[in-house]
Amino acid sequence: MAKYPFLEEAGTYIRESYFDLDDFNRSEFLHIIERATKRVEFALIQGKVFIDLEKYDIELFTFLISLIIMKYIDEDSAIKKFSLFEARRVEKFLISDLLKEKDLKKNLLISKIFKELFQLNVELEPKKNNLFKMNISDYLQRATQFNEEEWKLINRSVDNGYVYLDGDETVRLIRSEIYKLIYNKIKNMNITQIPEQIKIHAILIKNKLTPPVKYLRNRTDFPPCIKKALELLNKSENLPHSARFMLATFMLSSGRSVEEIVLLFQNAPDFNEKITRYQVEHLAGKKGSQTKYSVPACSKLINENLCYATIDCKGITNPIQFGRKR
Amino acid sequence: MKKEINNKNKDFLVRLFKEYYFKNLGILSPPTQMHNREFGIMTFGGTVIRHLSFSKIGSLKAFIIQNVPSDVYCSNAYYQFPTFPITEKCWKGADLIFDIDLNDILLPCQKEHTFYICSNCSFVSTDFLKLCHECHNTRILKNTIPCFKCINSLKKETKNLLAFLKKDFGIQEQNLEVSFSGNTGFHVVVFQNNYLLLDSKSRADIVGYLMGKNLSPNSLGVRNNKGGYKIKVPLSGFSYGWRKRIVEKVKMPEGSNDNLYKFIKKIGGYQSFKNELDKIAYEFGLKLDPQVTTDIHRIFRMVGSLNGKSGLTKIVCNDLDKFDPLNDSCFFENDKNVDISINTPIKFHIKGKKYALDKSISTVPVSVAVFLISKRLAHIANYSP
Repeated sequence: MAKYPFLEEAGTYIRESYFDLDDFNRSEFLHIIERATKRVEFALIQGKVFIDLEKYDIELFTFLISLIIMKYIDEDSAIKKFSLFEARRVEKFLISDLLKEKDLKKNLLISKIFKELFQLNVELEPKKNNLFKMNISDYLQRATQFNEEEWKLINRSVDNGYVYLDGDETVRLIRSEIYKLIYNKIKNMNITQIPEQIKIHAILIKNKLTPPVKYLRNRTDFPPCIKKALELLNKSENLPHSARFMLATFMLSSGRSVEEIVLLFQNAPDFNEKITRYQVEHLAGKKGSQTKYSVPACSKLINENLCYATIDCKGITNPIQFGRKR
Repeated sequence: MKKEINNKNKDFLVRLFKEYYFKNLGILSPPTQMHNREFGIMTFGGTVIRHLSFSKIGSLKAFIIQNVPSDVYCSNAYYQFPTFPITEKCWKGADLIFDIDLNDILLPCQKEHTFYICSNCSFVSTDFLKLCHECHNTRILKNTIPCFKCINSLKKETKNLLAFLKKDFGIQEQNLEVSFSGNTGFHVVVFQNNYLLLDSKSRADIVGYLMGKNLSPNSLGVRNNKGGYKIKVPLSGFSYGWRKRIVEKVKMPEGSNDNLYKFIKKIGGYQSFKNELDKIAYEFGLKLDPQVTTDIHRIFRMVGSLNGKSGLTKIVCNDLDKFDPLNDSCFFENDKNVDISINTPIKFHIKGKKYALDKSISTVPVSVAVFLISKRLAHIANYSP
């Protein structure tokens, strides 16, 4: 349970221990506050997943304090970034649990997590290669948010009303829900007085944060698909791979430098400069296979739900033609 | 003159359609949760009236007899307020619907019995028309009279759909309704609760699955890799759904990565494998109208109502093999005759009788007249009720 401190049981535990927020100002909590600070810094400053795992009560309070820190910081892009890295932490635990825990009792815990948090019935099928099965409707409700071909129902193992997934796929399917769960927990948190000790640590983190960068806002000659991607990026939304590919290839074809494009992705919640630079250089044909990638055609973007065509798009078959053919 | 002919046709059809609804009211059965459905009609003038609501089948029947529409529709969706504009109806779910139509099944025989008709002067051509040769009107109607081959293909496609729905989607027989559309297709409705709340995107994914769209070599463990390929057999295996169909068809080895690697090499690499997949997906994929399935606010032709494009009834088929659309769904009389003028030479069968009519005035049973006039292939010449 230490891995999943957002379950209902965690709330019950805190309620039953007659814990008061002011208790955080006591010196014995300092090491937990420092641990929570580290966890937040891992996400916001280092861009890394905090994988350290302690016993249940420490984990529970660390999680709670890190949420309070985020509430104090109160910057949407930072909250999104923190939520994303917390979601990845949960994902890692869930995947390893789903792969290891084949006995019924432990599997019940995993099923309980899916049921309690995401209203999703996931069952282990020991007779079918230890796969997890879920109802087709439950699957579709989640999978249609992804644009990648691999999530299309046709590319899945489907039988008798169920989709069969391995542990990794099952967790990836609910990735955005874990993210939303943590994001909403912070957003909906109602704290009148933030304990002084937590506040001091939160201020230190806040001072280290670089403000989100607003790029290319004034440009109006981008096609609507690119505008939409930029708009989402400026809001620190987590763009799907296909949208990042579209944006980077478009900017490369428009003559922008690798440097400029790397900066463009700085607001992405999972931004890692080294990885982004490598990927953009790869697309530009400067790394790996030396192939210069072209901008995906409008037809492909329609298929990937990335097209936001307006009347100005009439007659074009590729976003790069926008504004040229009129 | 044209207007007069059209009015005569319309009067004839209105009279006959009214008579049908009087005599066959029992065929119009109430849909489930009738009070949550939106109803719509099309008038003989071509106007669609939507956002109607009836809580009892009696009031719907009275409305139909009073207004005699050419077509009657009922939503696949359930709404809290069916009479409100679409955005305010408060959508509660929708039955999953499928349309199998000759327009989507390309058969070589169709050219022989497909007609292109000018909506203005009724000029008929068996060759594709973009523009009327007589009056240069650009609104051209396409009408097909299905032959035995067409009907058998439609039935086969419907059976394939039912097999997919039962086997892959776990839909139970009692939750499926198959009906003849009354013109050139079959409709399948799924009443199973777990599919009721799916949004349009999810339904698009289902219809894509059935049509064999976007089948990726990756899902079979074959990945494109710098012009070559690499293999990673999926943990979820090849035992179900499309994966199983493909594995059986191409006789693909199910075991190790090595065996699969050798197999792909043998058939010519990644691109050859992908081409093979596309071919199989087209062969096994169903020919459906995806727009019908993805539309969660559709008003769908109502069972028991007449199809204004043919004068035939949309009717439930309990035994698809025995069902003969041009006999079992024609409820007009065969013992009363009327004179019609035919717009083009035409061969067809209806109510168990073969007809070969040339371009002149013919005396035919009422059932034939309703059929051909609805199809815009004939005009009423002489009729005294």
